[in-house]
Amino acid sequence: MTISWLIDWVNNSWLGFLGVPGAFILAIIVSGLAIFGLVAVHAIVAVYVERKVSAFMQDRIGPMGQGPGLHAGKWGVLQTVADALKLLVKEDIIPAAADRKLFIMAPFILFLGAFIGFIALPFSETLSLANFNVGLFYILAVSSFGIVGLILAGWASNNKWSLYGAMRSAAQIISYEIPAAISLIAVVMLVGSLNMQDITRAQTGIVLGFLPNWFIFQNPFTFLAFFIYFIAGVAETNRTPFDIPEAESELVAGFHTEYSGMRWAFFFLSEYANMFIVCAIATVVFLGGWQSPFGEFLAGPYWGLLWFMGKIIFLVLVMMWFRWTFPRLRVDQLMSVSWKFLLPISFFNLFGVGIWELLSG
Amino acid sequence: MIHYFKNIFETVTTLLQGLGITFVHLLRIRKNNVTLQYPEERWPQPQRNIGFEHNSYNVIRSRLEVDIEDCTGCMQCVRACPVDCIKIDTVKVPKDTDIGTTSNDTKKRLLVTRFDIDMSECCFCNLCTYPCPEDCIYMTGGPNSKKHPIDYEYSTYDRSDLIFRFANVTEEQIERITKPAQPGEQTNNG
Repeated sequence: MTISWLIDWVNNSWLGFLGVPGAFILAIIVSGLAIFGLVAVHAIVAVYVERKVSAFMQDRIGPMGQGPGLHAGKWGVLQTVADALKLLVKEDIIPAAADRKLFIMAPFILFLGAFIGFIALPFSETLSLANFNVGLFYILAVSSFGIVGLILAGWASNNKWSLYGAMRSAAQIISYEIPAAISLIAVVMLVGSLNMQDITRAQTGIVLGFLPNWFIFQNPFTFLAFFIYFIAGVAETNRTPFDIPEAESELVAGFHTEYSGMRWAFFFLSEYANMFIVCAIATVVFLGGWQSPFGEFLAGPYWGLLWFMGKIIFLVLVMMWFRWTFPRLRVDQLMSVSWKFLLPISFFNLFGVGIWELLSG
Repeated sequence: MIHYFKNIFETVTTLLQGLGITFVHLLRIRKNNVTLQYPEERWPQPQRNIGFEHNSYNVIRSRLEVDIEDCTGCMQCVRACPVDCIKIDTVKVPKDTDIGTTSNDTKKRLLVTRFDIDMSECCFCNLCTYPCPEDCIYMTGGPNSKKHPIDYEYSTYDRSDLIFRFANVTEEQIERITKPAQPGEQTNNG
């Protein structure tokens, strides 16, 4: 089910009077709303889960919301819904000294960068909004587009903390993009395609007798590449331990210091959307995408969606686990991790994958 | 060069160690949890031993408490109160009706229909307790801990709940006591 399938379906149904342009616009709107729904639901659920996970790791119990005067449902399950409602009705403050147009635009640009990456994700064998040949490259390209919004936010706020945060995050994302991209290239070399569906299909079968034939298990270099990609991915989402762009103890809140209400919520939404994208790429490239981990067992287009989402949720949980375990890196440590460790290792990996392929293939 | 790999090895092992610690805490939350869901759960009150008897305190001004059975409605406490936080309404009882005596064997002549103390206004000066002829108004705890234990939490969800209403006579009782039924009416009702 792609956008072109949707357009055909609209044209052949009673909505045929819309013609091709009308059907195109309708299909775009429908798929856009579907993605936005996925992003919003993921953010709401993930925030709740994150609060619970962080609480449990610190021997607390997190939001509970029972008892008189508190109405967030049993176990506090409605806490994030209540928070989202609060953000919707909150006063929208734009500082007098801010660059008004850029200030308003920035959160949406940042969100757009995360949002349009969802188009190329292969949710299952048949379900992906657009199945095109440069899928992986496209996602990498548009997700680094979000950095523009981030710098705009920092610049337009007219606040030293915001600008510091924006500059730091630009430096960070540019540094970590390189090891991430190079470890993905290692897999692209093996597959010979950037198409997300092709990469997933290349991981069918069993390796070493019992392990699924995912790229993480296929050879030792891709195994290492997965971890490099994942570490760099965590850094690209600006999450702890790589959260120096919004380091609370140093920069108040970094690039979104001056934002409040719904605009701030968009920053939050795009952080969680970015997490989803990074985990989705890791899933597709290294963990077999919609492939079932048990060979033919529970395989198929519908189960595929379950496996795909399940793997992403697992990786998102691992990201939360990282966040509530590791302390924040210093700026120089952050740079040295990327340039002195991840980058050489990923180059070595790329070389190793080539040699491995030459000898075994 | 060896230093470089040693660094990587050390980083990876210590990071895994940290992940292990948090994961164990994540799994054992039921055992390790330190948060108390306060209104539903409470810590047990510790048995205190501060070296001398509770009764030997001079006074602990915790909260005003009234033994309404002993109150004669003399209004001494109302007059003593510097902030007027005590409100008493009384009804005169007909001569032949007996509404009992206090624990000091004083005959009660007034029916106390309202005895409200607004503890949000109270200044804890303790001045109301001295004039009381029946010792029926007192601060809880300390020397009075035998009469009434200290209300340690002494907190409410609503400010109006801080107005303590001690009078326990109902409208019906007031009707019955102040207007003694005629003999004829009683049979009709019966």
